[in-house]
Amino acid sequence: MIEIPSGSFQAGDSENGALKTIELEQFFIDRFEITNQEFSSWAENHTFYPGAEAHPATQVTWQEANDYCIAQNKRLPSSNEWEKAARGLDGRVYPWGNKKLKKKAHPFHSGIVKRKVGLNKRDISYFGVRDMASSVWEWTATTRENQKIIRGGLWNLHLDYEYGKTFDVALASPERRFIFLGFRCAR
Amino acid sequence: MTRFSRRIFLVYLTEFVTVFLGIFGFRSSAKGASSGVYKGTPFIGKTRENPFQKFYINYWKPFLRVDGERWTLRVHGLCENPQTFSLSQLEAFPKKTQTSRLKCVECWSAKAEWTGFHFSELDQLTKPLPEAKGIVFRCADDYLEAGLREDFLQPRSLMVYAMNGKPLSDGHGFPLRVIMPFKYGYKNPKAILEIEYVKEPPYGTWSKIGPYSADGTILPGYDHPLDQGGKTRKIYGGEIPY
Repeated sequence: MIEIPSGSFQAGDSENGALKTIELEQFFIDRFEITNQEFSSWAENHTFYPGAEAHPATQVTWQEANDYCIAQNKRLPSSNEWEKAARGLDGRVYPWGNKKLKKKAHPFHSGIVKRKVGLNKRDISYFGVRDMASSVWEWTATTRENQKIIRGGLWNLHLDYEYGKTFDVALASPERRFIFLGFRCAR
Repeated sequence: MTRFSRRIFLVYLTEFVTVFLGIFGFRSSAKGASSGVYKGTPFIGKTRENPFQKFYINYWKPFLRVDGERWTLRVHGLCENPQTFSLSQLEAFPKKTQTSRLKCVECWSAKAEWTGFHFSELDQLTKPLPEAKGIVFRCADDYLEAGLREDFLQPRSLMVYAMNGKPLSDGHGFPLRVIMPFKYGYKNPKAILEIEYVKEPPYGTWSKIGPYSADGTILPGYDHPLDQGGKTRKIYGGEIPY
């Protein structure tokens, strides 16, 4: 896990001047998303294709993700914790900085192309957390409008993608399972 | 040429061939389907023009209009009781109506009220075997689509024969189509002739030759709702609830 020190950080949409200062206690967050191999060692019914052991675990409900983290003496990160781990202390737009990566995650495809966690060497956050913009979306502990805030995945266009920004949020019903939605734990 | 650019080339080649054959009056028939169900008038089902500017249509190949009087749905494969249904038999199943949005992978979407029946009605009569995890649809335009049976059994999945209170038009899939509002449009086959229970779902037409995922779940991304002026908006993945 990676230590995220206590203190304030700038949260919110920095491109539209909607930044706000948020104070957080010290916490730790997983460097990588939970993989199929890790999750299936706890959830016997979790299935995946051979060769996908190191891919991020998806098709997991919020409760299952939360229970997995608790079983590891961890918890899901809050939405604010997730954002601080991704953008650090300088209010950056992407985990790696403020510029888009020239290389697309995987253009010319309509669906998720899952890869081994940590494979994108450029997708490293201010604090060294991996895959916070170019992999799957991730459950957080935070509720909004009776749904859970999810963070950090790709935005799909026809046959193309945009990398998620550090302040982007989406919502998902906690009981749903999606091929594009995984998680990581915090403590 | 990379793998993806080859796929793109194939997609454009396919579009070109489809339009070319459509212009020159090519008439197709679905494999395994009786040619007796066609009316004989050609139908080129790919347009964004009036009256489809608020709900685009896109068929795989031009085909001959289906005759509802002679059309039957054959359900077979890994099941105890293969059966053939007429349209009136299907219309006698418990009716379900829902309003949902069809989201195309090309980014547009459109909303309608759909009426039909739940796939479980077919299951109860045909009794699929435990190993039948997949379902294959073969359509009048030679389109093939497939998926996990559990997806077709979701509460919001529907076998549809009416749209906005009227029987499906040829353009929107007469006489029977699938509506799965949490999957992209290409996973919602139209003008269905035949359903087969299989062990594992094969690749569908588009995911086999093009860069469209076999799963087809709607991803977080962008949408242009035609009924709202096509204004760009972000969506969060799965069924679009508004």
